[in-house]
Amino acid sequence: MDVSDFLASHAAKSEVQVVDKEIPLTTDLAFLSVFDTNTIDEESHKCHLQSLANDGVQTLLVSLFKLPTTQTPDGPMVQLPQPTVLLPRAKPLPKPKPPTKWEQFAKAKGIQNKKRDKKVWDEERQEWVNRWGKDGLNKQKEQQWITEVPMNADIDHDPVKEARDARKARVAKNERQKLQNDAAAAGLSGKAAQEERKKDIDRTLSSSRISTASMGKFDKKLDGEKKIRGVKRKFEPAEGISEKDSSLSILKNMESDSRKTRTGPAPAEESVINTRKAVRFASKGRGGLAMARGGSAGRGGRGRGGKR
Amino acid sequence: MRPLTEDESKAVFAKLANFIGKNLIQLIDRKDEPYCFRLHKDRVFYVSESSMKLGISVARPNLVSMGTCFGKFSKSGKFKLHITALDYLAQYAKYKVWIKPNGEMPFLYGNHILKAHLGRITEDTAEHQGVVIFSMSDTPLGFGVTSRSTVDTRKLDPTAIIVFHQADVGEYLRDEETLI
Repeated sequence: MDVSDFLASHAAKSEVQVVDKEIPLTTDLAFLSVFDTNTIDEESHKCHLQSLANDGVQTLLVSLFKLPTTQTPDGPMVQLPQPTVLLPRAKPLPKPKPPTKWEQFAKAKGIQNKKRDKKVWDEERQEWVNRWGKDGLNKQKEQQWITEVPMNADIDHDPVKEARDARKARVAKNERQKLQNDAAAAGLSGKAAQEERKKDIDRTLSSSRISTASMGKFDKKLDGEKKIRGVKRKFEPAEGISEKDSSLSILKNMESDSRKTRTGPAPAEESVINTRKAVRFASKGRGGLAMARGGSAGRGGRGRGGKR
Repeated sequence: MRPLTEDESKAVFAKLANFIGKNLIQLIDRKDEPYCFRLHKDRVFYVSESSMKLGISVARPNLVSMGTCFGKFSKSGKFKLHITALDYLAQYAKYKVWIKPNGEMPFLYGNHILKAHLGRITEDTAEHQGVVIFSMSDTPLGFGVTSRSTVDTRKLDPTAIIVFHQADVGEYLRDEETLI
């Protein structure tokens, strides 16, 4: 039995058609994309686009099926390679932080910054202890069980409190310096910051001056104290403005406001039917609720309400 | 004298709309002559633009009145309608109340309107609706606010108050000094 014909035809069927172009297509399988840098055929653009898409998909699939596969219960799996095309950054590079005051000083003096470890070796306890934080070395003076008191100490001298206050003061100083650095980094430095602070003080002062029981009327005046200037009111000129349009627009706004806040049905003047009157007529003056309860109840009600 | 600010306009229009509803547009958008609202010494005047322009040349302390005084702003910024606005209110009123001849005098002395004095009332008047009061011969006498809707008035006894008094023409005599 000669199976060579059969095998040949099967091989021809399974043979992949490789796209042949002037500039070979490049693929980036990580993004499942194909790049075609050949010239565009402008005259028959419809056919060209179709062939372009065809070639692209062909190339993509061929290169995908060339990848090594692993067998999983769900079927063959392919691990996509690392991307070769570098996508540009969406956002600009972050600006470098302006140097802090210490960094400026260190640079001017040529001080090399050496990194300090958080842990320090404690000779007495023969272990690594925190420089700060839980059981930190900076709290050692507050936590030791015995403290030396100087000869000339006051009678209420509290060494623990003194040490603690000193530590807290150092923390506060650091915080203050950090705030200053932050303000300098935000651009509020020098003149601008001073102006801002001045305005803030003025605002506080003027509000505190009218915050007394008499709203500042009977307070003692200081020398050189200026009168508080309020907001200068500004009105439209008495003539030469078209008031009709502005009035009508105000009227329109009022209408739309009332329509927004209204919860019940629209008033009678807006609908064609006067609802209230219609309800009164249909229920013979008993009201909508009584009508909703049913006609028989209404007749019964009249019977009950009648003379006995 | 100055035009009303937006908030003031809203206060005035809201008060007027309670009496004349959508007819307020007739006051603003007049066919014959452009009219405007002007504020002078807390009082709101409804005045034709030609008269207003004449009034501009009068110094502020000397200007007493012009056009029609519609009402005044209280110190707390609320707007109160004056009896002088009655002409326009009566002309465009949506809801009216006619009172019997025996009820005219009590009303003109500043009392509320009782059910016994009620002659006619516009059908389907709502509760707390601004109404203009007329005598039976259709002379406008003042304005007020209803205490009950038309339907509810039927059940009331004759001494019950139907319309709360707001202003009446008797004020021309009683409040002559303070009106303008």
